[in-house]
Amino acid sequence: MSMALDTPRASLRLPSLDKAAVWIVLVVLLLLAGLASDAFFKINYLTNLVRQAAPVGITAVGVTFVMLLRGVDLSVGAIVSMSAVVCALVMDGKAENLWLGIAAASACGAAIGLANGLLIAHGKVSAFILTLGMSIVVYGLVQMGTGGTARGIVSPGFREVLNSRVGGVLPVLVIFLLVAMAIGIFLQSRTRFGRSVYLIGANPDAARLAGLPVNRVTVIAYVVSGFFAGLGGLALLARTGVSGTNPGAGMEFDVLAAVVLGGTTFAGGRGSVGATFAGVMVLFIALNLANVAGLPYAAQLTIKGLIIIAASAAHSWIGWRVSARTQQ
Amino acid sequence: MRPFAAGASAYQRLPRIYWALVGLALVGIFAAPQFRTLSNLANILEQSGTLAVLALGQAFVIAGGMIDLSVGQLVGLITVVACMMFEAYPGMGFLVVVACLGLAALVGLVNGELINRLRMSPLILTFGMLSVLQGFIFMLTDRSIGEAAPFIAFLSNGRVGGIPVSLVLVALVAIGTYYALQRSIFGWHLLAMGNSAESARKAGLNLFSLTRIVFLVSGLCAGVAGLLVAGRLGTGFPNAGNGLELDAIVAVVLGGTPLKGGRVSVLGILGAVLFLGVLNNLLNLLQVPAFTQIVVKGVIVIIAILADRPGKLAQPA
Repeated sequence: MSMALDTPRASLRLPSLDKAAVWIVLVVLLLLAGLASDAFFKINYLTNLVRQAAPVGITAVGVTFVMLLRGVDLSVGAIVSMSAVVCALVMDGKAENLWLGIAAASACGAAIGLANGLLIAHGKVSAFILTLGMSIVVYGLVQMGTGGTARGIVSPGFREVLNSRVGGVLPVLVIFLLVAMAIGIFLQSRTRFGRSVYLIGANPDAARLAGLPVNRVTVIAYVVSGFFAGLGGLALLARTGVSGTNPGAGMEFDVLAAVVLGGTTFAGGRGSVGATFAGVMVLFIALNLANVAGLPYAAQLTIKGLIIIAASAAHSWIGWRVSARTQQ
Repeated sequence: MRPFAAGASAYQRLPRIYWALVGLALVGIFAAPQFRTLSNLANILEQSGTLAVLALGQAFVIAGGMIDLSVGQLVGLITVVACMMFEAYPGMGFLVVVACLGLAALVGLVNGELINRLRMSPLILTFGMLSVLQGFIFMLTDRSIGEAAPFIAFLSNGRVGGIPVSLVLVALVAIGTYYALQRSIFGWHLLAMGNSAESARKAGLNLFSLTRIVFLVSGLCAGVAGLLVAGRLGTGFPNAGNGLELDAIVAVVLGGTPLKGGRVSVLGILGAVLFLGVLNNLLNLLQVPAFTQIVVKGVIVIIAILADRPGKLAQPA
């Protein structure tokens, strides 16, 4: 919904500020956080923060592609749950099942993504409702699979390796997240798929007329989203060590908030994996700030909401000034 | 006014969700003997009341091409606040109702005002508000609290001559929504905004005012739904509204109103609410295990949306 009612000042020449907006928000928020507690300037604390953000961050990489296509994927929370549960069940506490478990979890994620993509591309239905329905189906399947109790044991070494720190500083989960980001950025800027996603998202009709394989790209985007959600489930499993029954509950909202904070809007065609990373960090610094301030859980929920609104407002304000300017 | 006639003719045919409803009802009639009883039908209608009111409120927002994710937690907040106040001020039930509806409308107004002033995507703003409201609820209480006044319980659970009292309330809200969205200048403007906010703005419509009104209405409907939930539960349960916003959105879309707005069918929404209510009821009557029920509901949502899709939709979303 565009609401550019005022005429922007002609002196505003900030074409790149649109893309930089989320980074500005991130830096300002980090400085504010540093003022509140100097822990935010300690390297250990910061790496811990990124580590904590790994499951949401990895999942958000895939969702970014879907959102660039004007789609949305609400099933990622359920896929994260499924991935964590399937991985723990397949591993069954045995070292030799380590890779089998990881492969099974990723494959499950990609398979659900494939189902989403095929139904959305060929069924031409609302992605919002379809992936919502899919999340209910997957959640139900996970509950049937576990019987409602936490089952499955991770392989020895799985938790230990992923939770260790390289050189005693850099957590392996942070590297995991960075690698996922790097793959996402490669897909986005160095492949035909990535370019097609931007073109289709910017104008689906024009892309179709230009002969782009819209359906195929859509299916691939949802497979990518499901696959990264599967990886996100692995990261979550590594952090908690037990699969639980629904560990990814509600995570789709965190992911969605992070992606939108990063500037990938529902209008599609604009945004990037890098900006999504910044969005993820904004979200988690906000959550940590509430934690550091020693606020009760209830107040943290309220503040989380307020910070999401404030950060997003700041971002969209800058973006609005710029887009109003460029549309002249 | 010719334009209204044009808008109506597109919806003269029965929304497709009714065929699914008929199919489901046939299954029920043959598979579950208890399904046919009048008291069971009244049960379904009674249980659907909350969702109907909430979905009709959401219809205003979605018709304009926006979305309100905060209504579920708003229902929870109103349920808790209402029960606390009913217990604290017995004998002032009417004032409590007015206060609760005022609070709900205020939250809606704040949503609309913030979307206007901060130029934010309604989805992200109401998502933030969801979290804010959840925080408010847990600041008030972390367990069930208070007690609903008898007249609110009667409104939710009472029956006169076998007909649920809440049905009258739902009917009133539905008729009001129908006239506002499908038979008034306001509705015409709102649908224009949903079709293309940019064109509507250029045509001179006041999008700010439309946004403010629809979120106010959505909040108010959540307030009414919250009071119905309070009456049903009899006490203020803090998690009462969890996930209701998604149920409401599903009902609106199943009823043939696309998420991008520009079209709306109140009749379709009512059909979709009934469909979901009958489905729930049947699964329980057939004693389907709880986890299987979840899967079935998800599959039905997917099948229903595939069956109900409009013929042309030229975008991958």
